[in-house]
Amino acid sequence: MPHDWPPSRRTSYARREQNLALIGAVVTGAVLATALLLLVLSRINPAFSGRLRAASVDMVAPFWASVRAPFDFVNGGADSLGDYIASVPRARRLTADNAALRRALQDRNALAAENAALRRLVKVVAPRLDLVAVARFAGASSGSYARTAMIAAGTRDGVFSGQAVRAAAGLVGRTAEVGTHAARILLLTDAASRVPVVVARTGQPALAAGAAGRLLEIRNRGNDLPLRVGDQLVTSGAGGLFAPQIPVAVVVDARAEPPRAVPFADPAALDFVAIYRAYLPVPDLPVAAPADAVVVPREARKK
Amino acid sequence: MTAPYRLLAAEERARYWRGFAERAVPGIVTLVLIAAMTVPLFVSVPVMPNLGLLAVVIWTSFQPGLMPPWLAFAIGVASDLLFALPLGVQATLLPAAVVAVRLLDLRFAANRYAFDWVAASAVITVFAVAEWRLLAFAGVDGPLGPLLIQAATTILAYPAVVALIARIQRRLASPA
Repeated sequence: MPHDWPPSRRTSYARREQNLALIGAVVTGAVLATALLLLVLSRINPAFSGRLRAASVDMVAPFWASVRAPFDFVNGGADSLGDYIASVPRARRLTADNAALRRALQDRNALAAENAALRRLVKVVAPRLDLVAVARFAGASSGSYARTAMIAAGTRDGVFSGQAVRAAAGLVGRTAEVGTHAARILLLTDAASRVPVVVARTGQPALAAGAAGRLLEIRNRGNDLPLRVGDQLVTSGAGGLFAPQIPVAVVVDARAEPPRAVPFADPAALDFVAIYRAYLPVPDLPVAAPADAVVVPREARKK
Repeated sequence: MTAPYRLLAAEERARYWRGFAERAVPGIVTLVLIAAMTVPLFVSVPVMPNLGLLAVVIWTSFQPGLMPPWLAFAIGVASDLLFALPLGVQATLLPAAVVAVRLLDLRFAANRYAFDWVAASAVITVFAVAEWRLLAFAGVDGPLGPLLIQAATTILAYPAVVALIARIQRRLASPA
């Protein structure tokens, strides 16, 4: 068998190609390793990217807020046109409604006065409800489990993390990451969302948990009173973030385990939402002794 | 560039800088598609296709040199931040998708469009399952269903994104 001696060397061109391929593979490996490191960091400390997220929301939300404005304007125009066409039957219906509501309002005023008198009698302290801002929905992420919305209001408008977000129809969610002029809202349907509720009919407490779908799961029910389809869930006020008695959801499937409810406020139909300060202020944590403080035996403290 | 920059005429300098800008086009197009995914569209199931993944996959097969893994990593970080995912999920999976598509293209170089679609579908489905596991690892435990629905819409959106990216590429390749 003929031999090459000395063995033929590879051309420098082939060697260069091979070196480049090797460098490419090393860089790819380093990139993947960095990404996995980030993933491990997120597992250890899920909050470590909070500031970056707030910045990313800041970049995108104002854009959608301005893109959306003309559409909302056109929508409003179409609505007022429809109002004009159907005005006569509507006026009749509203007059009838108005009479009924006046009567209901009289009853309500009497009840409110009685309630206030009773509260004074037992000295109930009612926490205040502070409206922080009203903002337009601007942007969403429905990629995987995260169900979040962006609003065009941030720290500049007094919005901070952990405030309640409401619409006329009911609870929408809470603020999560907040930038200077935009914020992200954790919607009720997000897999990380938990809202303490009570069943309005029976008064039993429960937890309305998001399940990354259209419906909420009703978990941790206090006792075994069966739910019925149509039962309304309202916030209980536990935890101090959401004020009591805000409508949350209505039960649509009572047999399922856990039972399912559909939220009153449909994000698809919302344009403006109101942000409220937490219903009860978070109490200050007790000041802990520094971890490296030397424990002085009682005997040594004596003079 | 052969001559020193200072010796170039204004026209040549413009061409020099435009060369850099054109190399950045795949990354910019992908980022714009990711930003477009945040359009305020609230539906109960995640019907919004993962345009970022599609753009990365398609640019990798059209212009492997202009969509290196580190660029896919940067795009993944941006998309994790924008979609409130644990940082590192898409940042791991997008470079992995680049590597997978490069290997596939090496193995099956010349083929029909339908084959590309099938191969991309496989990559997208594996991506969804891997995303499910990585999310669980990062502490976001959830069902696989929504991710598979998104994978399905992503597969359906493939031809449209191919058309868009092919158009951009033709526009760049033809002398203006």
